[in-house]
Amino acid sequence: MTVAGHIAPLAEAPWPPVIRRGAVVTLLLWAIVLVLCVVPLGLVLAISFGHKVEGAGWEWAFSLQNYLRFFVGANWPAETTSLYLGQLYWSMRYAVVAALLAVVTALPFTYLMTRQSRRAQARWLVFLLATLSLSEVFIVMGWDIILSNNSGLPMLFAATGVTDWLKETGWFDVLREWGLANPRNVKFKTSEFATVLTLSYLVWPYAVILLYPALSRLDPSLAEAARTMGARPWTVARTVILPAVRLPLMGTTLLLFVYLLGAYVAITVFADPSQHTTAVSIYENVRGSTLNAPFGAAQSVILLVAAGAFLVLGQRLSRMSRAGA
Amino acid sequence: MSALVLKGIRKDYGEARAVDDITLQFPDGQLTALLGPSGCGKTTLLRMIAGLEVPTDGTVTMGGRDITHLPAHKRRFGMVFQSFALFPHLTVRDNVAYALTISGTSRGEAARKADTLLDLVQLTGYGDRRIGQLSGGQKQRVAIARALAQEPEVFLLDEPMSALDAKLREEMQVELRMLQQRLGITTIVVTHDQREAMTMADRIIVMSKGRVEQAGTPQEIYHWPATGFVAGFIGRANFMDGVTQDGKVMVGDVALSLPRPAQFLNGSPVQLVCRPEGIRLGADTSSVNLVEGRVTFVRDLGPVRDIYLDTGLGKLVAEQSADQSRGLALGDTVRLSLPPDALRIYPGHGSAMPATALAAE
Amino acid sequence: MGRVLGRLFMSMAALVVALPILIVCSAALNGGRTMFFPPQDPTLARFGEFFFSEPVWTRALGNSIIVALGSATLAVLLAWPIAYALWKTGSRQSAMLAALGSIPFALPPIVFGVGLGFFWAFLGGLGSIWAGIISHAVLFLALPLVTISIGLQAIDRAHLDAAATMGATESITFRTIILPQTLPYTISGFFFALVLSFNEFIVMFFVSASAYATVTLQIFNSLRNGYTPTMAVAAVAFITVSITVFAAVARWGDLPRLMGADQSRN
Repeated sequence: MTVAGHIAPLAEAPWPPVIRRGAVVTLLLWAIVLVLCVVPLGLVLAISFGHKVEGAGWEWAFSLQNYLRFFVGANWPAETTSLYLGQLYWSMRYAVVAALLAVVTALPFTYLMTRQSRRAQARWLVFLLATLSLSEVFIVMGWDIILSNNSGLPMLFAATGVTDWLKETGWFDVLREWGLANPRNVKFKTSEFATVLTLSYLVWPYAVILLYPALSRLDPSLAEAARTMGARPWTVARTVILPAVRLPLMGTTLLLFVYLLGAYVAITVFADPSQHTTAVSIYENVRGSTLNAPFGAAQSVILLVAAGAFLVLGQRLSRMSRAGA
Repeated sequence: MSALVLKGIRKDYGEARAVDDITLQFPDGQLTALLGPSGCGKTTLLRMIAGLEVPTDGTVTMGGRDITHLPAHKRRFGMVFQSFALFPHLTVRDNVAYALTISGTSRGEAARKADTLLDLVQLTGYGDRRIGQLSGGQKQRVAIARALAQEPEVFLLDEPMSALDAKLREEMQVELRMLQQRLGITTIVVTHDQREAMTMADRIIVMSKGRVEQAGTPQEIYHWPATGFVAGFIGRANFMDGVTQDGKVMVGDVALSLPRPAQFLNGSPVQLVCRPEGIRLGADTSSVNLVEGRVTFVRDLGPVRDIYLDTGLGKLVAEQSADQSRGLALGDTVRLSLPPDALRIYPGHGSAMPATALAAE
Repeated sequence: MGRVLGRLFMSMAALVVALPILIVCSAALNGGRTMFFPPQDPTLARFGEFFFSEPVWTRALGNSIIVALGSATLAVLLAWPIAYALWKTGSRQSAMLAALGSIPFALPPIVFGVGLGFFWAFLGGLGSIWAGIISHAVLFLALPLVTISIGLQAIDRAHLDAAATMGATESITFRTIILPQTLPYTISGFFFALVLSFNEFIVMFFVSASAYATVTLQIFNSLRNGYTPTMAVAAVAFITVSITVFAAVARWGDLPRLMGADQSRN
């Protein structure tokens, strides 16, 4: 750009106005980004220290009451409850299991996909992006139908005799233990199984998309070299491919985990109320039935901190493993 | 004796035919070069030998055993890839020992064998280095050592020198050849560089458009190219288009004699080839195939000179030693002769039936 | 053999992925008010309701379109200067700016939604359609930011040098070389933001404060009362839009490259 710098003054106005214009734009940009992207978060933080007042309102304050309530309950020290901590636990539990499940099943798919032609890959990507962008409400709708106790899989099982077969082989009792069956038939709705399944399904295309760059850059000659040295397909996967994608795997799992911490619809439809998450509680508090905006804000902050902590941990781990590599 | 034999090998990718009906034998213990321009099918052929691709038709046999459909990991053929394909997450030693490790050899034994191989390729002491720390030449040696670790029956190399810079390339060609001779292992090298093939190979297979143009020793290929393509691909060549006439060839108005009368029907279009070093400059008037030419360009390379000439036969390039061509300058007119022994004749563009083929009808 | 197994696995995975969506789409054909699968009394009446006769849905659809188009445009307009500055200068500040602009997308949307809700309540825009447009623009800013950055990186610096030697100023170079060459990436970013905005409802929930609704928000609000086949029509409409949009991006742009694959290969 040095040459342009020499030529420019001849072609348009002298230097100072150009610099000024550039500076104004930059300032404006910073203002917009700060106001729109950062301030809302700041507000959440600020309000989390506030007080709820009668009705639906709240007022500014500086109290740690909401945070205290999160950890030990509203009536501390008279009684301690870990209700809110429990919700956070469930948030993380669902998120971890679903994220792992999605990544493990997405990995072989993505690998196979990247071995196909560019045109085929583009087609897969269109398919995946379309399903990924479909709203959670529709996804849950679909799974609701599939897992519905009256007209979904359970009905299919009963109609085709699978339920009877399960009863005969004793598997039915196992399912009852796991909370996946009533005395009469299998039941999937409101179970951890259904929740995790739906959540995992929700982020599966996301996992493929996140793993895609690393896997598509894998040099195919590495796997071929291993084959010429006697490695069978599973050995190739274990000794050549997996080590190469270790980092992207961890990164993807973490990103999915953070994303799932905020899941709402799937939880409310498929999870038992006693196993609801912080996200659900936040909704209730901020706009739903319990209307305690400051407390909801506090929960949001804690959720954010939990997510952030895992992200930082992930960064640490990846830096450590890269240093050791 | 040839353990590795290809018969009628064909490979189609949809409509495109990459390899067309190739039958070859690879003599034991010898280094065979598959030589040709890019897209000629040589790498595809190598990959089918390695088991990384399956032929559409034809058979690959090793020691009498049909291995056409045997997957790569069941053949014991070591392969060096163009990009070397070293595993970045393993050390040099672990890379070299890979074949041994996955087949169950104990760690200690594998490490010892790896170190022996590293000595063989003159990388003693490099065992603990990481791949990212190596230079191009060092990576190549590791790749070679790694491929040899499984004591393969056949050693395959896919353009092994292309990732090296020019000077290193020449050194490694000699080194690799000497290593191969020491080990006595059947080796196949794919290359597009004819000098590389000439340097390293016992036998060269020249390929073009999925077919074999010629198979022979470097000397045979160079001095007796079977087709115009081979003549042009190996070394340098002057091409002249002409028409047969009573056993001689008319190029323009000049009648050129060949060592034996041309075995073509009168009037057939043919192509004559003469190598630059075969042209005699400053010939006396009693020479055969005499023409006059004007010097249009001189390339002085030190010990030899390339003299570019405009002649009655078209534009020719003659290679002369510095002594022989002393005094020749731009614009000079010289007499030159193309000795019949230096000429090769091929069918021209368009069909030219040799007289013998007609006689057989 | 391995190849066959691989193909089988991928087909099965694709089937599982497509299944709920297919089921939802087919439920749009139901004749009654309940979501049956397989659909009972198949009819296209629900489509008519959704697109034409039911005001609840036609208004929601209108809002969805306004918000989606508006926010995608705004997102692209905001992303361009940021991406350009980052590419031109590569400075720490521009990198920081880009990072801050991407934060809303990286967070769990519920947190950002809560924050934006408070934000607009203070500013007085809570419940206005403009608040919705701006909120989505900020939320999805990261998408055109990434695609445009990829496009800018693809520009051969030699082109810029050549233009400079022929007398082009910065603004001329921008107009005649940079913009045209990055057009596919700009459009891709626009479409990504568009599609995601259509489907987003959590932030919309907090920001619209029951004053208006988009299609997905309407469905979300009706969760308690259960699903109706008319909602499934929305699913059909949205998945069609998504497939069309992404297929268009794939057809006229380089989708694998946008998603992170390197150049050439295969």
